[in-house]
Amino acid sequence: MSVPYSLKVGPFTSNVLVRKRHILFYIAIFWLSILAILIEFWWYWHLMWTNNNPLYFYIFLPLFAFIAYVSLVITSLIISKIFLVVVNVIHKPKEGVFLRYPSDKDYNYWGIRNTIKKWPIWVSHKFPFPFLDNLCFKVFGVKTKFSNSLFEGWVDTEFIEFGKNIVVGQASLIQSSVIVGNLLIIRKTIIEDNVRIGAHSIVMPGTVIGKNCILAAHSLTTVEQNLKSGWIYLGIPAKKYKLNKFFEDNLESKIEESVNLDDVRLKYEELYKKQERIQVNFIERRKIKEEKIKQEKRRTGRVVS
Amino acid sequence: MTEKEKIIEDNEFSIDFITSSAINKINLKFLFIYIPILWFSGLIPIIYWYIFTPKLKSLLASLILLPASIFFMTFLFIIGCVFFSKLFLVLINLIHKPKEGIFKAEKGCKDFEFWCLRTQIKKFAIWLLNNSPLPYVDVLAFRWFGVKIDFSSHLIDAWVDIEFINFGRKVMVGQGAVVMSSMIVGKYLIIRQIYLDDYTVVGGQSTVSPGTIIGKDTVLGALSTTTYKQVLESGWLYFGFPARTLKPNKYAEIKPKTIRKIDVDNAIKYDVDFDINIDDEKKDLINNNNNNEEVK
Repeated sequence: MSVPYSLKVGPFTSNVLVRKRHILFYIAIFWLSILAILIEFWWYWHLMWTNNNPLYFYIFLPLFAFIAYVSLVITSLIISKIFLVVVNVIHKPKEGVFLRYPSDKDYNYWGIRNTIKKWPIWVSHKFPFPFLDNLCFKVFGVKTKFSNSLFEGWVDTEFIEFGKNIVVGQASLIQSSVIVGNLLIIRKTIIEDNVRIGAHSIVMPGTVIGKNCILAAHSLTTVEQNLKSGWIYLGIPAKKYKLNKFFEDNLESKIEESVNLDDVRLKYEELYKKQERIQVNFIERRKIKEEKIKQEKRRTGRVVS
Repeated sequence: MTEKEKIIEDNEFSIDFITSSAINKINLKFLFIYIPILWFSGLIPIIYWYIFTPKLKSLLASLILLPASIFFMTFLFIIGCVFFSKLFLVLINLIHKPKEGIFKAEKGCKDFEFWCLRTQIKKFAIWLLNNSPLPYVDVLAFRWFGVKIDFSSHLIDAWVDIEFINFGRKVMVGQGAVVMSSMIVGKYLIIRQIYLDDYTVVGGQSTVSPGTIIGKDTVLGALSTTTYKQVLESGWLYFGFPARTLKPNKYAEIKPKTIRKIDVDNAIKYDVDFDINIDDEKKDLINNNNNNEEVK
């Protein structure tokens, strides 16, 4: 039920710290949001504590702790939203391909935005209520509905549009930004209504998933891939598998019929075809072998006698 | 019509792919179940605090005992959470009995709504136990929620559904594996029993879909998946996407019972020179280095 640490689903924002001084944002939000709890506790102490008989103080303490946690989430959200608005006025977030270097302005501000969002999202994610995550998304300006269940996977908090009734599986990643070598790629990903994303699957930035699609487990989409609506996709990278007819009515008895596994294997082998071996002559093969031996000798630093 | 087209037409409605198990509709009504669970289970450590702190009159003793008491109180809280969520589960199962089958994942369907309720109630206690540093504790919660499981099996770092699962003895579930007995496909929710027999191993990051039966002594490799209602025969290594037989599992033949006994008194001593495990081409490197030292 709960997501274990090995699936690595923590806060939704990326872990990159561009400059160490960005931690200052972290500390400011952390500090101010905890001050609110202290004020609440001071008020509760005055209301309930009596030296003779503090029974009511103790009875309502768990309920107070619950309310304090929710208020911590909300205050940290408000403070970080104010920070975000100020930062976005200074530099507007935009899509594109940027250099991964602190002097690059877009990369720098991308890091700042993620560090600001991190604390409230971490706090809301550590709580077992699913709706707090959706509330975080809505405050930070991502289009979502409360009917989506996104809390089991990793979802980026910028440049994403969600429709209705989306299910994101365990340990799956939905990204709008990715670091490849020396580059930072930010593209808008759009996921439309009734999409089911399987466990362990990865959606790269810039993909558009149409209505009523299913992305099966253990599959991956490339950057800026378009998945047509009404199909089941599968594979690395994702390919068309078959039409999605599971949104029709009265299929219970048809699904119940058992699957012939040999047919399934034939179909999967098409998707995962092995590369055909290059046929080479006897002489060419010898040349390749000699080259490999040379490379090995160069690597080990041995002088050829 | 070619063979491939025929196969696709035949398997139009068959489930030969895997999606995820997740709760579709999230409502605020779950909050009203959580509040009493949190309140009552929070009261237990507070009662402990209320009774025992006034008895320690010296400050030093109370300071020394503080870490131990905090540790004890957290586990009192967890045990309380498990207990009260079990109470709610019993009440809900009296109203509607959990059963396997194919249901519609919509608001009107009774089975789907009760499935959501059950998973939400179990979630908090299991979440607490998974984040606790003690091993084997989540097995205790599994037993408490009604899954047949021994203390000999390990599943601490994996996602395992808590319904319709049968464990044998000494089952290993790898890190990051997803074992699910329920799956959402399109409009439908599929719930099927899963059987993991004795001495089975499920590899890391692999997914097991509803309805699979894994036989005795089989190993499902890492990063591999099983399809709906697949049967893995006993005594084999399985691997792939979907899982297929790789080779017979000969590692299973060496069991603790069959290890040879050696009489210590009659044993003969051998002096054996062990070769270092390096490729033949690189062995010269070691000799070269020795020669260089001699030259110097």
